[in-house]
Amino acid sequence: MREGFVSPTVVMLALLAWSSLAAAQNARPVPQSGGGIPETQNARRADDGPGGPAPVHDFTGMWLGPEEAALANRIPPMTPAGQAKLKLNIPDPFSATSNDPWKTCDPFGMPRAANNQIGQLGFATMPNRLIMLIGFRMWREIWMDGRPAPKNIGEKGGPSTMTFGYSVGHWEGDHTLVIDTYGMDENTWADRRGYPHSAKAHVIERYDRPDHNHLNLTETIDDPVYYTQSFIIGKGAWRWARAQEDPKAAQIPFTEEHLCVPSQAIEYMKLLGDPADEDSVTGNKPKK
Amino acid sequence: MKNKLALLALTVALCAVGAPLFAHHGSAAYDDSHPTILKNVSVTKVNWGNPHTLLLFDAKDDKGNVRHWVAEANAASAISTTGWTKNAIQPGDMVTVYLYAARNGQPLGRIGKVVLPDGREFGTGELIGDRPSVCDQDFGNGGNESAACRPDGRKTNNKE
Repeated sequence: MREGFVSPTVVMLALLAWSSLAAAQNARPVPQSGGGIPETQNARRADDGPGGPAPVHDFTGMWLGPEEAALANRIPPMTPAGQAKLKLNIPDPFSATSNDPWKTCDPFGMPRAANNQIGQLGFATMPNRLIMLIGFRMWREIWMDGRPAPKNIGEKGGPSTMTFGYSVGHWEGDHTLVIDTYGMDENTWADRRGYPHSAKAHVIERYDRPDHNHLNLTETIDDPVYYTQSFIIGKGAWRWARAQEDPKAAQIPFTEEHLCVPSQAIEYMKLLGDPADEDSVTGNKPKK
Repeated sequence: MKNKLALLALTVALCAVGAPLFAHHGSAAYDDSHPTILKNVSVTKVNWGNPHTLLLFDAKDDKGNVRHWVAEANAASAISTTGWTKNAIQPGDMVTVYLYAARNGQPLGRIGKVVLPDGREFGTGELIGDRPSVCDQDFGNGGNESAACRPDGRKTNNKE
């Protein structure tokens, strides 16, 4: 070999060794999947505390809470039409005499989706909209670009009512999201107790994030067709889902796969709900 | 080893919490005075899912006749956090079931716990169901029992 000559093979090997070392130093640990325990709304653990200040105008992420909102017992006097509609709605979805749409996993729609089976709540962003990920893996679209909700919903020549209605939202201050929803199909219930709402109802949700880890809801209904005054129907509270920002700690599945499966719900009633005959024990009689 | 211990501790903690997981379903149909213990029953089917997981099994009564039982556990999404996964119990398995039997004498019940041959247990043994209705406060707890607070009140459990 000539003096001063460095073999190309040596150079190649040196380069390979250097790039491997560099790659090892820069490599991020690969998150692991499977075998973890999902973040569950049913798990009780010590409150994580405030977790620092809340970000401005931002709820993005997954929130966990109790299955149900606290429901108001102080319902204002109802109109005759409201009272008549209330009598038609028979709650307790797994009893034979109930006609709760939940029995066959019909979507709750609004306003019920904000106060029933609320254990998981997610927020994500799309252009001009906030997307709310709600119970039973459904979602709502909240328009945030300042547009008003449509007019004359459900009237001749106007747009149709929708199961989840039409929602527009805006921020009040740094940490409060206000959502106005109109045009909700009146076949849905206002809550699991069977309180009704008309197509003219206006639902106002106020979501407040006092700190990083907590989110609170007050849901108000204004429905002069069925109720003599507006009222708060429910209050919800969620905590920030722990570990969602830490790829090492977050596992797949991250949250429970919370579903309502129509075929399973129907088979449940056939195999167990109807033959167990809860109504005979509670004294609820079928209508004749 | 440390991670395995931590996972075990978390699993035990989750099993022990006893959260009101049946808030959406009353328990009035079941005899809550004491559990019925059915030993070495033969699993025939597991309906794994939501809103309820069903365990179907055959058990012999006092006279040696086979009865076909249907018992409900909580939703699959809830019990999976306690270690009871979709494949944990299979048709043909022999298990012991602690359940709260239907008051009307039908072979139906709500599971308190299931004990596998290897000793693993799914469930705490308790009957989970409705809580008493809270109608005299501005806000109630929003579960199935809240229906009793309507003006025409609908009883959903036997704890009123």
